[in-house]
Amino acid sequence: MLPIMSSEWYKLSKSRILWILLVGPMVGLFIGLTANFDNLGGGPNEWYVKLLSMNLTYALLFLPLITGVLASVVCRYEHQEGGWKQLLAMPLTRGKVFISKYILLIALVMVMQLLYLGSIYLVGVIDGIPEPFPLNIVWKSIFGGWVATLPLVALQLWMSILFKSFAAPFAVNVIFTLPTILVVNSERFGPYYPWAQPFSMMYIGGNTEDIFFVPWDQLLIVVGGSFLLFFAGGYLYFQRKAV
Amino acid sequence: MEYIVETKNLTKRFGKEQAVSGLEMKIPKGEIYGFLGPNGAGKTTTIRMLLGLMRPTSGSVHIFQKDLRKERIRILNKVGSLVENPSYYPHLTAGENLEALRKIIGVPKTRIKEVLKIVRLEDVANKKVKGFSMGMKQRLGIAASLLNNPELLILDEPTNGLDPSGIIEIRQLIQRLPHDYGMTVIISSHLLSEIDQMATTVGVVSKGKMIFQDSIEEMRKFAKQKVVLKVSDSESAWRALLARGMRADWDEKNITLLNQSDENVATAVKYLVKDGFSIYRVEEEKKSLEDVFLQMTKEERLV
Ligand SMILES: Nc1ncnc2c1ncn2[C@@H]1O[C@H](COP(=O)(O)OP(=O)(O)O)[C@@H](O)[C@H]1O
Ligand SMILES: [Mg+2]
Repeated sequence: MLPIMSSEWYKLSKSRILWILLVGPMVGLFIGLTANFDNLGGGPNEWYVKLLSMNLTYALLFLPLITGVLASVVCRYEHQEGGWKQLLAMPLTRGKVFISKYILLIALVMVMQLLYLGSIYLVGVIDGIPEPFPLNIVWKSIFGGWVATLPLVALQLWMSILFKSFAAPFAVNVIFTLPTILVVNSERFGPYYPWAQPFSMMYIGGNTEDIFFVPWDQLLIVVGGSFLLFFAGGYLYFQRKAV
Repeated sequence: MEYIVETKNLTKRFGKEQAVSGLEMKIPKGEIYGFLGPNGAGKTTTIRMLLGLMRPTSGSVHIFQKDLRKERIRILNKVGSLVENPSYYPHLTAGENLEALRKIIGVPKTRIKEVLKIVRLEDVANKKVKGFSMGMKQRLGIAASLLNNPELLILDEPTNGLDPSGIIEIRQLIQRLPHDYGMTVIISSHLLSEIDQMATTVGVVSKGKMIFQDSIEEMRKFAKQKVVLKVSDSESAWRALLARGMRADWDEKNITLLNQSDENVATAVKYLVKDGFSIYRVEEEKKSLEDVFLQMTKEERLV
């Protein structure tokens, strides 16, 4: 497995696409710097205002969308010039290739989350927020957001293997991501919509009694369930794919 | 006999279309096996199944006497392949392409230089493959297939899209592999002449069926070229040749010599002149692949 992962990382690292990891955190930084304490009514802690406005755009849009782009990239160069047939005629199992690509993707999403954490911190430094950095809340948000994208990464990897074109898996991603904007406001659908989970799990206004701001059963059923479904679907599809 | 590759009743259907039907491929060790057939005959489909890229509808594949379904990884450890058009990562250089594969196989880094040298690409190792000519891409594909020191090399139409000098170069390379490295080679082609120049054993496939499988010498009997004479009064001329003890065929217009050695042709011409016939043309008739197929099917050399 390690040799395959090292090969996967090698191919991706040469693709000069990694700067895309900066987009989400940069947008977050920009929003954080422009969000104004006064005209948002203000709360007891300036961090909350910053975090709420930054998370809204980042977790709702950029995190799921860029995740999808990354998944497309790690399959694009396999689709382009017969990469799949060369790769899969090597002494390896398809299962290991799928898992390697998946692990690489979730590692990159984690890097993106950490960069975003850096953005949050930077906003505080630049704006000179007097209160101490609320790490005990922010880490939940960062890590929770990552956990919530695990099923989405699996689905995007599946779609990216399925479709040769770059646009098709991206379209699927947009189609499922955009309704999130409406869904998060719905008490009935919000908890069950997998694409809403990154937002819910990064939403610091949620119940802080729960781990990751959502109830355990929601985490297990919605995130865990959709992960199993999407991962197994992609894994099995890849096993049988004729190349 | 121990075969390096042996398929039994190998069959692949795409919907209603039978792309490969009941193929019984048998390849002895150390041979260059020419897998010959027109476009669409099922060569690539067969090769995909040999590599486990595609599942057969029915039938089995044994390579190195091992069942491909059960010991795929162990088999592929010792197989190198190039399927259809050369595969490569366009965003990487030639060297990087090989490095991405090398990391998986785990051979030493020096092997990259070696294989680049074998296919004479060492000067462009640091150039992006995107800008390579077709011939360079083919050679890179062959380099990639050699990376793991394979015992079986499978090359699907490796001279496709190459210029004549490139074809000769690849041919010479392939011909020395069994001797220099003890490899068994499968090379597919839709060109009779190409197989004729490289292969030691031949399998001919047509519409998914193997219609001939034997040594190259046996195949040459089918592919033999004929010498055709166009003469005045061809029927009498033919009888005159027979009367002088020469073996010839006659088909209304032309006389065909069955022994086409230089000597025999010269003798026939001499006799015809002596007997007062006018010779208009002495031509060599090249047989097309279709002619050979027709003859193979006609003579029921079905295997
Ligand atoms: N993936 C596929 N789906 C449907 N039909 C296919 C597929 N691959 C090949 N075929 C069909 O199978 C037949 C054999 O094709 P192929 O093996 O590529 O022939 P060759 O390599 O001898 O030119 C052709 O008629 C082709 O159209
Ligand atoms: Mg072909």
